[in-house]
Amino acid sequence: MKKRILAIVLSTVMALSMVACGSADKAATTEPAATEEAPAAEAAAEEAPAAEAAGEAYHFEVIVKSFQSTYWQAAVQGIEQACAELGVTANSNGPANESDIADQVQMIDNAIEQKPDGIGLAACDTNSVLDSLAKALEAGIPVVCFDTGVADAPEGSVYATVATDNTAAGACAAENMFPVIEEVVKAATADAPVRIGEVNQDATALNIQQRGLGFINKMIELCTAAGKSVAVVGNEFYVNACDNAGDEATAEVIIEVGVPAQTTVDLAATEANKIMSKDDTIAIFGSNQTTAEGVITANATLNKLSTDPATGIVAAGFDAGTPQKAAINAGQLIGSVTQSPLIMGYKCIYKLVDICDVKEVSDIPMYGYWYNAENMDAADIAPNLYD
Amino acid sequence: MAKKKPFGKLNGREAMVVGIIILMIILFSLLSPTFRTYSTFVSVLDMAYYIALMAIGVTFPLITGGVDLSIGTGLICYSLFGGYLIVHKDMPVVVALLACMVLSIIIGTLNGFLIAFMELPPFLATLCTCMITRGLGSLLSGGFGVSWPSALEEAGWFRKIFRFTSANGRVIPIGIVVVVVLVLLMNFILNHTKVGRYTIAIGSNKEATRLSGVNVKFYHVFAYVISGFFAGLAAIAYSATYVTIYPGSGAGFELDAIGGAIVGGVSASGGVGTIVGAFLGVIVITLMKVGLPFIGLQANWQQIFTGLVLIGAVLIDVVKKKK
Repeated sequence: MKKRILAIVLSTVMALSMVACGSADKAATTEPAATEEAPAAEAAAEEAPAAEAAGEAYHFEVIVKSFQSTYWQAAVQGIEQACAELGVTANSNGPANESDIADQVQMIDNAIEQKPDGIGLAACDTNSVLDSLAKALEAGIPVVCFDTGVADAPEGSVYATVATDNTAAGACAAENMFPVIEEVVKAATADAPVRIGEVNQDATALNIQQRGLGFINKMIELCTAAGKSVAVVGNEFYVNACDNAGDEATAEVIIEVGVPAQTTVDLAATEANKIMSKDDTIAIFGSNQTTAEGVITANATLNKLSTDPATGIVAAGFDAGTPQKAAINAGQLIGSVTQSPLIMGYKCIYKLVDICDVKEVSDIPMYGYWYNAENMDAADIAPNLYD
Repeated sequence: MAKKKPFGKLNGREAMVVGIIILMIILFSLLSPTFRTYSTFVSVLDMAYYIALMAIGVTFPLITGGVDLSIGTGLICYSLFGGYLIVHKDMPVVVALLACMVLSIIIGTLNGFLIAFMELPPFLATLCTCMITRGLGSLLSGGFGVSWPSALEEAGWFRKIFRFTSANGRVIPIGIVVVVVLVLLMNFILNHTKVGRYTIAIGSNKEATRLSGVNVKFYHVFAYVISGFFAGLAAIAYSATYVTIYPGSGAGFELDAIGGAIVGGVSASGGVGTIVGAFLGVIVITLMKVGLPFIGLQANWQQIFTGLVLIGAVLIDVVKKKK
């Protein structure tokens, strides 16, 4: 009797998954792939029918940090897109708030009990999920981490990590800012140096440290390549941790790093104001949403930002949000770096399918994506720009 | 209360704080050429608005011998709620402003009820509402930040209450007029009306005030309602000055306001203080917050300095009492 029920359930599940695959496959062919990974995606989509023919329709459980913010909604959009292209199914879930760590751990444990073919995880707290990862390993369920890596994960539990390389993301801002200010930088002398500002929310969180230093070190590299001597001044941590702090007295380019006493918008605005008030300041970078908005707030009083270094201060931001998008459209910011929740979610599913197909997998470092007034509405950028 | 007025309408303590303000401005201007600019002056005022409004309100509980720790997280909670109504519920800005005020009065009344009727110590009661408003703010906004309409949009008119940009692009900080008018009004209420005099009387000797037939509980609650009401006004000033309001922030704002009031001569043990003094004290705190980064002092030193100044302010009171 038990066997018969099991057989009925199994065949129903298989039938349903075939239907799911069919419709998903259709979606993949009718909808042009919307990411810049389009060629790869299409190639993989073509492989999908083969997998389907072999009767392998995978089901994954995906747990994000929070289900409500627009950042994570973009991630889920990427997950759904990949599922549609590959003909697999995924169930996305997440706690109400990114700080609801215990809720998330419970969700992972529930997901393991469902015995999916794999689990995608964006851990709220990298230490709290360790026990759950051990359980997944024991149950033989592969895990792919996305957005946030879990450095101390039990060996063998996490097959791959798809997370933003913050050092590269910070460098991305420097690479895009430098061409705009290049001429002014080249004209600088030790007697009349130019100043490039950076406001970092803190000097303690790893992602902010990496981002801040990524910008500073890339800017040092670019200015040095242009034949200029560079000095880094301001917050002790960043001065001590950068590649070469130089000597302020003889420098032609001064990179000044401001860190507010507390991570509030008013103090971030004060730090931005301090740097932007100086006559030799030509550019400024706010390395996350709060500090980029600090730059925008300071400009409400100073009215100095411009897209042309000859007429004002050139500014770049990080992440998205309505105020930054408006500032880019108004010509106050030349652009901003966004992380790519959509592509991270999308690649997470691709990794999981590769693991199930017993293909070799490796970590994917994600880079920051530069956006400005021209490409803000592009199909591969717009979904990452949450309000 | 110090009735001696050696410098015109200011009492001794207030005159001293004015002196400190002038000294600080001279010092910062000498040490940093970028400090002595019009835009820095405007940004000092920008930051002073919300702290000053909180300080006006919290002076009432302080004078009763209590304290209100819920105003900082309360400010963010009210602002998130108002912003949420505009951004996610498409409500007009006026409704959001009213919602801020209603919510702030409710929390103020709750504080007053817990303290005057349930006889909870003010420190504990407002610490609890501090936690409640912090959680409530995240809950009301769905856990993520909200941006009130910007000055570029038509719905951003409320920003002009505090900061007006003239046709030639010059920023006029008219918020200072609003704040000064409220300071003078509340100063009058504290010193020349029944509400104010009973508030001071409660702080000086609660039992004697009760025995003389004053409805102590009512006036005690009222002090916290005023504190809540001004936290609501501060929420509006904060939303008008800054871009995005983040849930989870706001803890620590109350310390700037309470610190300012104490620097301005409001006694932490009750019975003594003026609104003008509290306002001047807030200017000292704000000058430090804006000025210290300008003279190149790094974040950690700024906090140490602020702490030292507060110790100095309280010590002056202690020494004066001993005399």
